[in-house]
Amino acid sequence: MASDSRNGEIELVSVTKRFGDTVAVDSVSLRIPHGAYCCLLGPSGCGKTTILRMIAGHETPSQGDIRIGGESVVGRPPVRRGTAMMFQAYALFPHLSVLDNVAFSLKMRGVDRAARQKQARELLSKVRLEQFAERMPAQLSGGQQQRVALARALITNPRVLLLDEPLSALDEYLRLRMRGELRRMQKQLGITFVHVTHTQLEAIAVADILVVMEQGRIEQAASPNAIFDTPRTAYVARFVGGQNVLSGKVESVADGIATVRASDGARFTVPLRGAKPAPGSQLFLSIRRDRIEVAKTGSDSAVADEVNMVRGQIHSIEYQGSYAKVTIDLARAEEFVANLSDIEFGRTPLEIGDHVLARWSTADVCLLEGADGADQKAYADAELMGG
Amino acid sequence: MRGTANERRPWTFYALAAFFVLFVLFLYGPMIVIYVLSFQGPNGGLTFPLNGVSLHWFHALIAQERTGDIAGAFRRSIGLAAMVTIFTVVFSVMAGLAFRRRFAGASMVFYMAIASLIMPGLFVSLGIGLVFQSLNMQPTWYGSALGAQLTWTLPYGLLIMFAVLGRFNRAYEEAASDLGASNWQRLLYVTLPIVLPGIIGVALFGFTLSYDEFPRTVLTAGSTNTLPLEIWAMTTNVTSPALFAVGTVTTVISFIVIAVALTSIALIQRRRARRAGKANESTTVS
Amino acid sequence: MKINQQTVSWLQVAPLTLVLVVFFGVPMLLVGAVSFFDYQRWHIVPTFILDNYVELFQSGLTLRLYLTAIKYVVIVWAVTLAIGFTVAYFLVFHVRTLTWQIGLFLICTVPFWTSNIIRMISWIPFLGRHGVFNDGLMRLGIIHQPLSFLLFSDFAVIVAYVHLNTLFMIVPIFNSMARIDRGVMEAAYDAGASRWRVISEVVLPLSKTGIALGTIFVITLVMGDFFVVKIMSGGQSATVVSALSTEISSLQYPPAAASAVVLVVIVALMVSAILRLVDVRRELTG
Repeated sequence: MASDSRNGEIELVSVTKRFGDTVAVDSVSLRIPHGAYCCLLGPSGCGKTTILRMIAGHETPSQGDIRIGGESVVGRPPVRRGTAMMFQAYALFPHLSVLDNVAFSLKMRGVDRAARQKQARELLSKVRLEQFAERMPAQLSGGQQQRVALARALITNPRVLLLDEPLSALDEYLRLRMRGELRRMQKQLGITFVHVTHTQLEAIAVADILVVMEQGRIEQAASPNAIFDTPRTAYVARFVGGQNVLSGKVESVADGIATVRASDGARFTVPLRGAKPAPGSQLFLSIRRDRIEVAKTGSDSAVADEVNMVRGQIHSIEYQGSYAKVTIDLARAEEFVANLSDIEFGRTPLEIGDHVLARWSTADVCLLEGADGADQKAYADAELMGG
Repeated sequence: MRGTANERRPWTFYALAAFFVLFVLFLYGPMIVIYVLSFQGPNGGLTFPLNGVSLHWFHALIAQERTGDIAGAFRRSIGLAAMVTIFTVVFSVMAGLAFRRRFAGASMVFYMAIASLIMPGLFVSLGIGLVFQSLNMQPTWYGSALGAQLTWTLPYGLLIMFAVLGRFNRAYEEAASDLGASNWQRLLYVTLPIVLPGIIGVALFGFTLSYDEFPRTVLTAGSTNTLPLEIWAMTTNVTSPALFAVGTVTTVISFIVIAVALTSIALIQRRRARRAGKANESTTVS
Repeated sequence: MKINQQTVSWLQVAPLTLVLVVFFGVPMLLVGAVSFFDYQRWHIVPTFILDNYVELFQSGLTLRLYLTAIKYVVIVWAVTLAIGFTVAYFLVFHVRTLTWQIGLFLICTVPFWTSNIIRMISWIPFLGRHGVFNDGLMRLGIIHQPLSFLLFSDFAVIVAYVHLNTLFMIVPIFNSMARIDRGVMEAAYDAGASRWRVISEVVLPLSKTGIALGTIFVITLVMGDFFVVKIMSGGQSATVVSALSTEISSLQYPPAAASAVVLVVIVALMVSAILRLVDVRRELTG
């Protein structure tokens, strides 16, 4: 049993949470192994925070079970779950000094003053804040407050640390530094971290397991690499970013590769990886933005159409440092983006308004599951959040 | 207003500032007149000019020449205000906490409190007087008057608690539970300390509203008077500056209570945000 | 041992509710009942009669009392609204730092925590025939005879009401104005609105819950008052409640109760008319 109490494996079994008539979390199942860094990623209102709060014990699931270390924790108070939570704006007690904030849980357990202060100081020195022990929370910077919150959570010696948008209160520079710090801390402690965020890059940077959520459901749960390489649905491809999503009707299937025809006549090939689509059915596919080759065509197209190619006019060019993001207006409504490396971009200078064609190879195409889900709003969100 | 002093202000600022100054003069001017007049010489009258400066009328008050039992009324008023404060703080904080959750009958209680707040005080006084009469009980300042005043201070306390708890971030409580606090520990070590400035505000309202209460007390205090009742009696039969001396004394008491309450609120706030500069929660209790 | 959340709420709200039921609910019901009772000298005779109401509605005095009260209410409401709106506007939009805002706001609210009776009395040496005001004007040579309408007159009553009650306009209007997003006003300026247009088109509509709340306070306070009218009019004017207090002091409880019931109904109608126009519940519950 002693080893069990240190096991931070989390398992959600068909968990549903309703608030009145709204379903915040819709029959979600998920297993997070002990010692993993898991990120729940999704737009606001997708249910990610609700899941976190149910694991913490601040909400009770309407249905389903939550297990930590193999034991059901539903109905248990937060303190008896072995979890600790870092709140969104940290929720440091404004009336207590930094030291008393960190020592709070020991005080609740009746640890005597000297012992609890000693232990709290040790933890503060771990987050390099020992010299701020006597300060009040309002006298600290955002980054320092975050470290106090971390120390306060860790003093309970949790097997699971739950982080609700832990970096959203920080400025860009600190956000980048602290996410590295969180990752390092998690590896050092070897406990499970569950981190809620709406920022794709943050999630990709820290997570072992990335859980992409939408409208109370899990769209995909896998390693960041797998999600980036092989998004399961159009939604994931769009939300996580870095992908172009195209669609067409199946024309033919040969050697595990389907050829689809888009409404404007363009044809694409897609490796099926075991899928068996019926001829004529609609398929969705994604192509990584950084695997696309762009060439100028001039206004009258001399180049013949070929498979895996689209034509259009350059709509915008954003220089991003190591690469340039080139947005191409297709004749169809949807935008098409190519991320060209700076070397490549230097070789073929492009201007807004240029007529171009974009090409890619079959190997870089990924078949997406299910219907379109071409939710323009989610797409716009993804763009907005730096996808 | 330093730092923006160089920026030119529109003429409306000066017009409104002048209006504000006039309003403050209107608010405080007459009161200052009676405080000055209370130091009238022994032969002075109810108006200017001052016929010398003395503490004569304060002595007259203590000696209770031609006045009623001022000292007794004062003691009763302080005692009553202290009791009202305690009940108001405890009951309003409890009720405020209750109102954070939905419960059957919540709106009934809320509307009763509002009705009690705006009911003319004399009617409450009349009603309680009738109840005591029909039960053949003697009204007393520590019984019926206490209850009468609570019908006035509790709604105020409840509304202040709504405002205070409405601003309270529930994450503090969740953090406390997370860190192993029991419900009682959470209340004692987190919720109450954080809303303490608001609770002091409730106490300030409770004390001063009770200490100065007149219409609800007039038929419920029984055979002995509280200070406002004594002052009321004096307005009709005392025509000396002793009346003003009472006014000065009770105002000084009120000001001490206000100063203690506001200073302690300010100290708590300052301690929490000494260098934060973003004290965007105004401390005004209203 | 797990107690139901609802039960916890009930236990928490019970003391406040109990006090309000015993000292407000029951007494008010008794007032309602007594208004239908007969009386002989000081004795209430519990037989159901309508005589109290019949006499009330047949008496020409009733109408005169209501007209006087409504005259006071209308004038005091208009004056306190003008002052309250102007002062709140100045504090919210022209005072630039929070410290000054809190400081000046406190200056306006401190008198609320001091005795109403003393504040009322303080006008006597100010407005009297030989008071500060007349003295000053005579010394300046503006008048040669003391103005006698200043004290013990309608004028004095209104001055005292405005003095006591303006605060109840300032605080709610201040609260709703403080919530107005400055960006909204700047957008109106950018759209070419003049200063006055911004006030009438943006500030006024967005402060209406505060104005409504202040109006309710002022109406109920003026309608329910009896001691200001008694003292400041020098006994020359009477309103519904001041007449009622005279009935009470001569122990004529049943007609007094009937009169109270009628007044409460009328005030309740006024308040619900205001509530129908503006939803202030959100304002109250924060």
